[in-house]
Amino acid sequence: MKALRWLVLLLAAGIAVSAVTGPMGSSAPWSVVISLRLSRTALAILAGASLAVAGAVLQAVLRNVLATPYTLGVSAGAGVTAGAVILFGIGISGYWACLAGTGGALAATLLVTTLAGRGSREGSTLILAGVTINVLGASLLLLMEYLSPASRLMEIVRWMMGDLAAAGYSRVFYLLPFTVAGTAMVLLRTGTLNQMLAGEELAETRGVNTRRERAVMLTASAILAGGTVGAVGPVGFVGLVVPHVLRRITGGDCRRLVPLSALGGAVLLVWSDIVSRIVVSPGELPVGIITALIGGPYFLHLLRSGPDHY
Amino acid sequence: MPELSLKGFSAGYRRGSAAISGLDFTLPGGEIWGLLGPNGAGKSTLMKGILGFPWLWRKGSVLADGKPFEGFSEREKASLIGYLPQDPPVPQGLTVTETVLLGRHPFRSPWATDSATDREAAKEVMEECGILHLAGRLTANLSGGERRMVFLASVLVQKPMILLLDEPGSGLDYRHTAMLWEILDRLASRGVSVFASTHRLAMAGEHFSGAMFLSGGRCIAAGSPEEIFTPGIMSAVYGIPLSVTRDSGAGGWSVSSAGDR
Repeated sequence: MKALRWLVLLLAAGIAVSAVTGPMGSSAPWSVVISLRLSRTALAILAGASLAVAGAVLQAVLRNVLATPYTLGVSAGAGVTAGAVILFGIGISGYWACLAGTGGALAATLLVTTLAGRGSREGSTLILAGVTINVLGASLLLLMEYLSPASRLMEIVRWMMGDLAAAGYSRVFYLLPFTVAGTAMVLLRTGTLNQMLAGEELAETRGVNTRRERAVMLTASAILAGGTVGAVGPVGFVGLVVPHVLRRITGGDCRRLVPLSALGGAVLLVWSDIVSRIVVSPGELPVGIITALIGGPYFLHLLRSGPDHY
Repeated sequence: MPELSLKGFSAGYRRGSAAISGLDFTLPGGEIWGLLGPNGAGKSTLMKGILGFPWLWRKGSVLADGKPFEGFSEREKASLIGYLPQDPPVPQGLTVTETVLLGRHPFRSPWATDSATDREAAKEVMEECGILHLAGRLTANLSGGERRMVFLASVLVQKPMILLLDEPGSGLDYRHTAMLWEILDRLASRGVSVFASTHRLAMAGEHFSGAMFLSGGRCIAAGSPEEIFTPGIMSAVYGIPLSVTRDSGAGGWSVSSAGDR
């Protein structure tokens, strides 16, 4: 598979470039490379893979290629709960932020799919419901910001923009179980995910318990997106751009699309992180700004080209 | 040849309101039967009820091949009854071959890739349905008629012994309609039982060994075409005066409003 080779190559190149990118350039000592640069690269790989897989799953289960953790407000839901833990749970482990993020993501998923209703999820109703949840989540986050002590304001603001800057590997280890669990849940049922593409009725006649499978897959995407938001903040558009571009290259068969999306998400976030460290060097931009600058126009392009080109 | 029989069968979407009530019916093995009735008569609900979709309630028994349908394993069910919905969602990003291969899902693990057997089976039904030349095209880019054939192939690749087809001919042009009934005739001659709902007798009626009229969720009449395609029964079912004629050569049926004459 050509796409697989390219993605592996791009990821390897990204890891190599990431190791020599930073204020001290290639003259940085190994300790800096390992503890500061490669740790954030590892975080970018996990977060990127999680978000892209979550996006691919939502798009297949809901049969809507505009569905992603970000556009459906799942990330916003995770942002509220994880943000609350980060702000008010001073001193507790970041693992709890990932866990709280998953809870918030699950609640938002439930809310948005209920709001959109069973019959209308193929149209724009779903996206409109997502926009509503997004606005609600953003307001709650702003309220928390307003109420938070000034000493913690900077931390929460950076996190809200999507932040990969890490000293050491703690956040990598917090996120790892979420990425592994969520991805495994999906990889074990990629064929079932394909069945969802042709609708619940045909899937049922082919032995798929569609209610159970739908719940499991929405839970998996909430674990992936929620854990990621808890670890690195709401990084947008990875779940939209990656599965969509790959679908155009390799087709929509989820048995290929899901694993390739995991790789593609890692590639996109690793390279976005490199860009975020270069553009305002020696400072750095939050990576969420870079992905939004790539993803925002892409989303508009999709909306303009109409449903036939999704 | 497996029969499908319903005994005291009722089904519906909401508890307390039955879209189908107290149906007794047997679909004989190796025959094509039509399911007719006005809009909203419950034709689609009947098929969905037989299949036991969890969003419907049902009462009474469905026997396939003489045994209760719910007693079969998922895999056995898939190779016993195949179902073609009226208008299934078009799988985005899947080619025709990939869409047809969806029908192999019950026979392998949920993450498995397509085996040589799967691909061979898909090729066979695509040839049967006249869509082999479309193999590499995206299903989403095909015409309505071609798409219908692709979905039919994806059901046939399950190798079902009983076929429930919900308005298989709707939206098809003459060529595709003729192709569809030719395929169904061939299947019936191999012992497959077909139950197809339709609104039009033209190009369909002559292929029926029998038919059932459904109205308000109840069976109004069932039997051989000669017995039930009569002006009396059809006018009563559809609530307008209709005249029914049979072409003496090809055996086709035509229906027209009796007020026209």
